[in-house]
Amino acid sequence: MKAVRIIALKHDRKRLLEHLQDSALIHVKHSDDVQDGFARADTSAQLKQFEKNADLTEKALKILGNVAPEKKGLLDGFKGRREIDADEIGDIAQQAAKIIGICGKICRIDEQITDNIAEQARIRTLTAQLEVWKKLDIPLNTGDTNSMAVFIGTLPKQYDEQLLAETLAEKCPELVFELEVVYSSSNVTSIVVFTPKKQKEQAELTLRSIGFSRPLNPTSKIPLDKAKRLAKKSNDLRDKKDDLREQIANYADYRDAIRDTQDYFEMRAEKYRVISELDQTEHVFVLNGYIPEQDCGKLEEICQKVPSAIIEFEEAGDDAPVKLKNNKFAEPAQSASPSKEDIDPTPVLAFFFYWFFGMMFSDAGYGLLLVIGTAIGLKILKPDKSMRNNLKLFQYCGISTVIWGLVFGSFFGDAPAVFWNTFTGSNVTMKQLMPWMLDTQKDALFIMIMSIAFGLVHVLVGMGCKFYVCFRQKKYAEAFFDTGLWMLLLTGLAVLAAGMAFGQILTYIGAGIAIACAVGLILTQGRSKKGIFGKLIGGVASLYDITSYVSDLLSYSRLMALGLTTGVMAQVFNMLSTLFGTSVFGIICMAVVFIVGHAVTIGLNVLGSYVHTMRLQYVEMFSKFYEGGGKPFEPFSAKTKNFKIKNTDE
Amino acid sequence: MGMIFTILGIAVATVLAGIGSVKGVGAAAQASMGVLSEDSSMFGKMLVLTLLPGTQGLYGFIVGFLMLIYAGVLGGGDVVTWQQGLAYLGASLAIGIGGLVSGIAQGRAAVAGIGLCAKDDKNFSKAMVSVTLVEIYALFAFIVSLLTVISVPAIKF
Repeated sequence: MKAVRIIALKHDRKRLLEHLQDSALIHVKHSDDVQDGFARADTSAQLKQFEKNADLTEKALKILGNVAPEKKGLLDGFKGRREIDADEIGDIAQQAAKIIGICGKICRIDEQITDNIAEQARIRTLTAQLEVWKKLDIPLNTGDTNSMAVFIGTLPKQYDEQLLAETLAEKCPELVFELEVVYSSSNVTSIVVFTPKKQKEQAELTLRSIGFSRPLNPTSKIPLDKAKRLAKKSNDLRDKKDDLREQIANYADYRDAIRDTQDYFEMRAEKYRVISELDQTEHVFVLNGYIPEQDCGKLEEICQKVPSAIIEFEEAGDDAPVKLKNNKFAEPAQSASPSKEDIDPTPVLAFFFYWFFGMMFSDAGYGLLLVIGTAIGLKILKPDKSMRNNLKLFQYCGISTVIWGLVFGSFFGDAPAVFWNTFTGSNVTMKQLMPWMLDTQKDALFIMIMSIAFGLVHVLVGMGCKFYVCFRQKKYAEAFFDTGLWMLLLTGLAVLAAGMAFGQILTYIGAGIAIACAVGLILTQGRSKKGIFGKLIGGVASLYDITSYVSDLLSYSRLMALGLTTGVMAQVFNMLSTLFGTSVFGIICMAVVFIVGHAVTIGLNVLGSYVHTMRLQYVEMFSKFYEGGGKPFEPFSAKTKNFKIKNTDE
Repeated sequence: MGMIFTILGIAVATVLAGIGSVKGVGAAAQASMGVLSEDSSMFGKMLVLTLLPGTQGLYGFIVGFLMLIYAGVLGGGDVVTWQQGLAYLGASLAIGIGGLVSGIAQGRAAVAGIGLCAKDDKNFSKAMVSVTLVEIYALFAFIVSLLTVISVPAIKF
């Protein structure tokens, strides 16, 4: 990694930055200190505008997606970005204003739809309130006539006309009345009652005694008419809403253009973010950044296109970002951002990732499917870099899966044997077909020991990395005492365990090494403590760490458990699929059960294997040496989602 | 008599572990649907986190299935002594209870992981690894059950 400084005249700024953004070579240094005599340009206003536009396009796209969903193939998510020429950016820029206008329109129409929906909800509430009155053909606030008192209101119980008349007569025998029930349900009854005006107070009291209440906001409209009007209004609103949606859907053709515009504004926003990091004078600007050593030549070439630019390289300081560089085999598994002191763990990690994944997924048939599927994906979809790495990761995992599938004698579970037996009536086992195989069920114990042995190797490699890092930094005490002794101790214990199986001598050797290392640990681990007792106690206490190593190692038994899970699930579905016999109907059922069953098995176990491999890497191995916290190298580039400019994405 | 214990064992392994997973996945699925209602593009990540507590049920099922085979319930051939039947029942308790409790606990962890992921989906791998920390105890229970089941026919009582 080199530090680089580019100095150029201000009127070349735009051109230079565009070249740099297209080439994605430089990591621009972020710093808050401005050198004397320089100033920073305030680009926040423009930035805000670009971001606002980008947000607007995002919103418009979301609305379009809701109203007129895009037809998407199942695999479209894997596809790479569309490639365009650098010149096309100009066209997009010209269109930008128009497209932003369209986005604005879409958003406004959407607001109208929101209002429309709110209005419809309001009408629904009104209609519901009106429900009990909708058969009434006089206004709710109808007052008394010259001789008659009118009562319009509700009772909190169910009545029909006869029952109500009887109730009223019982409460007040001398009351003369005429009544009509407008609406009645289990907990409310709407009534209209007419009485002579002179009996008004009496009637009021009688009615109140059975819970009569007048409507809260009586209107002068006739409820029947009002209900009709509301229904019509609601219909109109619905039509209006469909119409508005139609209008939005008409803009669906602009979807790609909107996406391009979004990318365009994101690009410009990125550029202006960089401009705000530049130290500038009236005529000159200075850009500070970092660049990988092998790219220096390319950068010089680019700067030659801009006549006024001068480049200086110097050695990068401690705060330089880290760019990982891995070969094809290891790159897909690259996921860490190590600090400058760490070593890049990727190559080691990659090997174990493939190895463990294969052991857990462990089926030759499934492995083949993974290899073929990812190969087709890579060929047809031409995905972007990160997706390509993901597919490649699974491709290598697939190869490892095939190998382990052969070791464990599993090809779609025990499918070959089962189907041979079903159709010929013979009685072969997978063991006869693949005599070399390890049976995951019968040899479970052996496979578990093997898993833990792999775990030991994995952990030792992790500690080896730590040893190497400490050694390189000349922290010899940490390297030899803190890491080396533990590595030896674990090896000693492993030899001891092997001795139990193979012979006494190994037991003695293993025990000897382990004890010697334990003594060494007691003597050295307390070295930072004060006083002879402090040192001794610190040393003895450190031996307690053995529990964490043991639990780490036991954790690797999942390799065996998950491998077995895949095998047994496959076996279950094979058995189920043969239950239907060998008639034509039976064979159809067999095919269906077989395909569905194995699809489920693959789905669940790919997930399980992936998750548990990640865990073994991160929890068991990384913790042994990884410090992390490094700044990843993030070049100044066009961070677009939709298109990519040709020849720049490598 | 032995067969009755065996079948009881099969039920215990499958159902108890299954309940653990059902509770775990159910809780996680509810949480993830909350997230999806805001942002449906997270479906893949949510699916992974939701499925993680589902493995306990699978382990229980596998132990149950192996018992079906090893005790000859399917073939109806072998005679299972009552000692062997009790041994199968005992073996099933490990994954049954282990799966039940760890499934529920992992479900809770998954719900928290989904919350973490919803705030910033860069946290996905951290959430995923943390949720799998619970899994190891279900796996231990599974391994113990499994090793017991496959060695029962050879044990002399």
